[in-house]
Amino acid sequence: MATDQTPEYATVFMEALKEAEVSVVTALPESLLATVYRLCESDNAIRYIPVTNEGEMPGICAGTYLAGKRALMIMENSGLRQACEPIARFNFQNSMPMVIVVSYRGEWGEQNWWGHNHTLTMEPLLKSLRIPFRYVSEIIDIKPAIKRAFKHADGSNGPVALIIGGNCVEVPAYAKD
Amino acid sequence: MQRIDAIRAIAPMITPDDLLTTSIGGTWDDWWNLKPADNTFFTGILGSVSSTALGLAVSLPHRRIIALESDGSMLLNTGIMCTMGAERPANLTILVFNNGIYECIGGAPTHTSRNTNLARMADGAGCINCETVTDVDGLTSTFARLLDDGEFGFLVANIEPGIFPWKTKERKPTDGIEDKYRFLRYVEKLEDVVIHPGAPQN
Repeated sequence: MATDQTPEYATVFMEALKEAEVSVVTALPESLLATVYRLCESDNAIRYIPVTNEGEMPGICAGTYLAGKRALMIMENSGLRQACEPIARFNFQNSMPMVIVVSYRGEWGEQNWWGHNHTLTMEPLLKSLRIPFRYVSEIIDIKPAIKRAFKHADGSNGPVALIIGGNCVEVPAYAKD
Repeated sequence: MQRIDAIRAIAPMITPDDLLTTSIGGTWDDWWNLKPADNTFFTGILGSVSSTALGLAVSLPHRRIIALESDGSMLLNTGIMCTMGAERPANLTILVFNNGIYECIGGAPTHTSRNTNLARMADGAGCINCETVTDVDGLTSTFARLLDDGEFGFLVANIEPGIFPWKTKERKPTDGIEDKYRFLRYVEKLEDVVIHPGAPQN
């Protein structure tokens, strides 16, 4: 349940999941969307499945889709590197719709040295996998972005990615200025 | 016990109300010929057979979900054992055909032919009802029990190498796109839902 201390982005994110009728969320928790994972875990309307590596997520989402339900996978952009193979297979072999939320580590102003390689590989990977993507950095854009992501995935029969950063993550890079 | 013997033994236990996923490889042609209905998603992705079944299982908790796995597929994604061990869907049964080799690419050994024990790994990962069988009688009785015990189950069937010589016209002819739609349309009828509708008119 949301509390007074719940960041606004996380509250809106959860509302967006409900409006999109998402019933399964699978994720490998990280710091940028930390409150979202906590809220998903405590939400009775969502089956939250934390995994050990991001390569498990595409199958979980595909199975959920084939069951007639909606799933969302959430990973830091570093996780794309783990998930590439099953995403590519489901995409190119099966034309499988799936929505990927990617938390944006290495955004402009990133001070962690280890975060920069994540952003350097993010866009090239998405482009090489032929995954349409959009950046989401303002809270007002969260709901329409998630709603349209599912429409785009279903309409294109393939994966789409939303790269979540800016004011839509726990500690934006610029907040450390 | 070869894989074809194992599949012939379990096929009569599967009903059209069940949903399955299968590993790539020789299992495809065997199961294509012996499956009771279009109730199988032929997962052409080593390492994603159990995860796809897990997605089905948590979304359709009233239905029996079975993953026909292989040792090569399980070994490619051992983390899913931990996730299944954490979730333990009561309607999910994993059956691993363990021949100890990558048979389709010429028979290079997998680690289960050396020191890896998949059932013990699954047990350590938190899975319950983890067992290993080595003959048809053991497979038949154990699989039947795990299917209907109302709990998660993880069964390893140790099998001898051997690919059944299906004729060309008997081999699975479908590709991944057709596999998706055949299964998807089957689920739509089974669950009375629309998963992939036509394009909107506006």
